[in-house]
Amino acid sequence: MSAPGQIRQQGARQQILDRIRANTRSVAAEHLESEYALLPRTYVRAGSLSAEARLALMIERLREYDAEVVECSPENLPSSIASQLQSSGKRIFVAPSGLPAAWLAPGFDWRIDHNLSSAEIEVVEGVVTAAFCAVADSGTIVLHHSATEGRRVITLLPDWHLCILHASQVVETLPEYFSRSQEPPALATYISGPSATADIEMTRIKGVHGPRFLHVIVVHDQADQPKNQ
Amino acid sequence: MSHAADHPVLDQPVLDHPVLDHPVLDPRFAAPFPVAALPVLRNPQLRKNVAHAIDVIQAKRGKLVHEKSDWQALRSAGAAIRSHVLENLAPYLELFEVRCTAAGGVVHWAADAAEARQIILDILRQEQATEVIKIKTMTSAEIQLNPFLEAAGVRTYETDLAEIILQLGQDEPSHIVVPALHVNRSQVREIFARTMGLKNLSDDPHALTAAARTYLRQKFLNVPTAISGANFLVAETGSVVVVESEGNGRMCLTLPRTMITIAGIEKVLPSFQDLEVMLQVLARSATGERMNPYTSVWTGVTPGDGPRRFHVVLLDNGRSLMLAKEPERQTLRCIRCAACMNTCPVYRQTGGHAYGSVYPGPIGAILTPQLMKMHHAQTLPFASSLCGACYEVCPVKINIPEVLLELRSQVVNQERHEAGRFFDPMYLGLRIAHLLFSRAWIFHTAQFFGRIGIRFFTGKDGWIHSLPSVGGKWTQTRDLRGFPSQTFHEWWAERDLKPPGEAK
Repeated sequence: MSAPGQIRQQGARQQILDRIRANTRSVAAEHLESEYALLPRTYVRAGSLSAEARLALMIERLREYDAEVVECSPENLPSSIASQLQSSGKRIFVAPSGLPAAWLAPGFDWRIDHNLSSAEIEVVEGVVTAAFCAVADSGTIVLHHSATEGRRVITLLPDWHLCILHASQVVETLPEYFSRSQEPPALATYISGPSATADIEMTRIKGVHGPRFLHVIVVHDQADQPKNQ
Repeated sequence: MSHAADHPVLDQPVLDHPVLDHPVLDPRFAAPFPVAALPVLRNPQLRKNVAHAIDVIQAKRGKLVHEKSDWQALRSAGAAIRSHVLENLAPYLELFEVRCTAAGGVVHWAADAAEARQIILDILRQEQATEVIKIKTMTSAEIQLNPFLEAAGVRTYETDLAEIILQLGQDEPSHIVVPALHVNRSQVREIFARTMGLKNLSDDPHALTAAARTYLRQKFLNVPTAISGANFLVAETGSVVVVESEGNGRMCLTLPRTMITIAGIEKVLPSFQDLEVMLQVLARSATGERMNPYTSVWTGVTPGDGPRRFHVVLLDNGRSLMLAKEPERQTLRCIRCAACMNTCPVYRQTGGHAYGSVYPGPIGAILTPQLMKMHHAQTLPFASSLCGACYEVCPVKINIPEVLLELRSQVVNQERHEAGRFFDPMYLGLRIAHLLFSRAWIFHTAQFFGRIGIRFFTGKDGWIHSLPSVGGKWTQTRDLRGFPSQTFHEWWAERDLKPPGEAK
């Protein structure tokens, strides 16, 4: 078995590629991009809602997913976080390594994620993170797992997730998110409501393996212009 | 070396003696569709379970598609992107391989199911794995990975709730998105109570779901190897995309040390941005949600976050042969949303097991026979009323009826050259019909004698109530109107001779 980073030249590879080439009329490599560029894309790319309506839609969608949403001003964010943590009844929280210090409300047991093990995260009761952006149309929170959004595991094992979302991060349509991420992320998670299943008689059950409780604080940072992180 | 396309060699089955009394989802052993459908048609509970599940999804899908003003534009874009990929599959696969490898992944190629199983087992042996956790993957079911690994001494743990129900209940999937939709809550309770040793378990779906959560939690935290499928592979970035609802996928993708993804070669998309189309149509079509709860994108290996070793197995298993021509090629556009089976009047009555394949419904009826290189599952293209509902809902515009018709003609052309079929009443009848319609005079002569002959069977009321021989199959359940005294041609010729207005 060859090491990572090296393409394996094995029998089946050539056989499969030969068979595909024999059965397709691939365009020459230099035309591939131009042919791709000509594919029809007449679907809605940019949204049409005002900033207020866009945010209202986002909040409505989150609530449809049973997420708890509160709104606050940038100045009140630390106190809003503190009151969310307080009312959760939980004590031990994990935070991504880059979470702003002002967000770490005093009086709680904070575990900062400098490569905590799964076992260490498993004893934690909740997690607080930022987000990369959010898509109002589908109520989706986008994580690119930067230092403020955290490694994937910390938003997975704890049962309670508080996500801080700034109004300027909310786009209306999914294509607007994709135009925003010029550099495709190596890791991304799109969260549209808490973990759920409908596998038994199509009855929607909240919370199978991922966090059962999703809380979102929407911060009115009053900017009409989208702000990239 | 002989070209595999010229001499298709079918993969050896894993199970030589499939257990009877158990749905057989191996097209090489499965009964013909009309026979396999009978147990379901005679089981009112099963039909009720299937109809209920489908009604719920259909209602939700309808509402969400309706609110999307650009739905048709999204379908067109989806179809165009997928077609473009299939026409240029080799360069996109090679690009995916380069990018995934550069990001620390290891790309394997498997020509058939046996090769794919062996590659996966070799990786597991190298990892010294005795257990593996799995995210729902139809491709793994296609290659019968679980029985193979179990026989080789590796325990497999399915982690999707529906897949747990099937695995613990020793059942088979009957749907590609909601695989256990044929099982109701009291049946789930019985399975969980028996296999998890929970005597006092209630049949409340909340309690059943909680039981599954507890059952799996320690597995997620302790089993160091996982297997997943892929909804999409992104050529531009070398990324893999998995969509799910429960979070069991994220557990498997994040916690283990080693991750193995098995994906059909057709799953590739040119660029990351193409997800803006696919993710908008997939969840709406599949579960009637604007977006599924969790979508994960990962690229090779990311130090400090997730598995340290990552393998992708690219599976051909008959797919490259399906690229050769349209209309069959479009089958590979499929993104496995299951909208076609949810809308299909045949699937609604028979459920999924009748299709004898892990891919049921209209897409299964065109995909399975082609994956079997037309050597098995020949009854499936006929398991359709050709109503076209599947084409209408397909998010990537696969014209399933068109492919069904093409495959039907291939099956018929296979059959009619078989020696034993020469005196087969259907083919005999069709040959006679061919003769009758080939010359006008033969047709008119046959008409003349036919009209005389049929009089003996026509009642006084002008209806035929009973025909002999094969004709009886028709008149057993319905009457046939007798032949009129005058044919259309005769009437037309007569009418021409009279001045206009007097024709009658």
